[in-house]
Amino acid sequence: MTCRPLMRVEVVVPPPQKLGAVPQGTSVIAAIAGGTFEGPRLRGKVLPGGGDWTLLRPDGVLELDLRITLETDDGALIGMSSFGLRHGPAEVLAALSRGEPVDPSEYYFRTAPRFETSAPQYAFLNRVMAIASGDRRAGGPIYSIEEIL
Amino acid sequence: MHDGRRRDVLKAVAVTAASALAGFAPGVDAEDRAIRSRPLMTVRISAATRQTFGPVPHGTRTFVPVSGGNFEGPRLRGRIVPGGGDWLLLRSDGVLELDLRITLETDDHALIYMTFQGLRHGPPDVIAALGRGEVVDPARYYFRTLPRFETSAERYAFLNRIITVGSGEARPDGAIHRIEEIL
Repeated sequence: MTCRPLMRVEVVVPPPQKLGAVPQGTSVIAAIAGGTFEGPRLRGKVLPGGGDWTLLRPDGVLELDLRITLETDDGALIGMSSFGLRHGPAEVLAALSRGEPVDPSEYYFRTAPRFETSAPQYAFLNRVMAIASGDRRAGGPIYSIEEIL
Repeated sequence: MHDGRRRDVLKAVAVTAASALAGFAPGVDAEDRAIRSRPLMTVRISAATRQTFGPVPHGTRTFVPVSGGNFEGPRLRGRIVPGGGDWLLLRSDGVLELDLRITLETDDHALIYMTFQGLRHGPPDVIAALGRGEVVDPARYYFRTLPRFETSAERYAFLNRIITVGSGEARPDGAIHRIEEIL
């Protein structure tokens, strides 16, 4: 597998909405208040709205289902959705939930983003598969996204 | 040796080994990469006669039923249970979207549900050759998938916890997917 950096996305997440126990696990919805993204071929801001619908499964794995809108610095809108998984040692996850900074290599946090746009200058995003490595910070996650070549 | 430094050295060795396995291009600084991978398995899918639905609201729909096949990797191997298939959608921008659902049965009789979404596109002459059922070097087109797995078998539960990427090769009688686990 070869890949190359696509962009780094930082999102700002206010206190999440804890729905609690649902049939599939424990549901928490994190609304997205905003953010930024930057890469060699595109940069701009994350628009408020959208969110990350997370589900803590009975096997301890957190499933993430993110949908956000990116607005480039030249005014194009890009829809981004990603499916992801996060898991790790119990003490590491506990530190994360207390909002403490944790080295992201201490846990598994990977997502697979997809993009859609009508802007010709970013149409390449419609044609790529991507993989992201996540870094969960107290204010919101940072995703380092790589394009799968 | 200092613990931190020792860890760095071990990490560098691991990264180098993983990069070699993952086939990173020479000259790419693998140690700086945030994302590493290792081989999970190669899945060989045999396809039955395709069913062409034609134009639908989102593009041109084709269904490729799966008649069987096999899979093999360092940690699992077995056969593909007949049934399931790949729901293909040719989009208006020429990109083929793949949406596969199949069942794997390991050689020790565990069932694994596998799905993926994928994209395939390339130069018109290459795509035309694939359409005629010719064998084409997979390096000449883009064919990537994101397989996901579900199983209740304890020994394969690691599959429930990983993100993976597949490189596809279209064959006249099916497809071959080389799948890497994202570490």
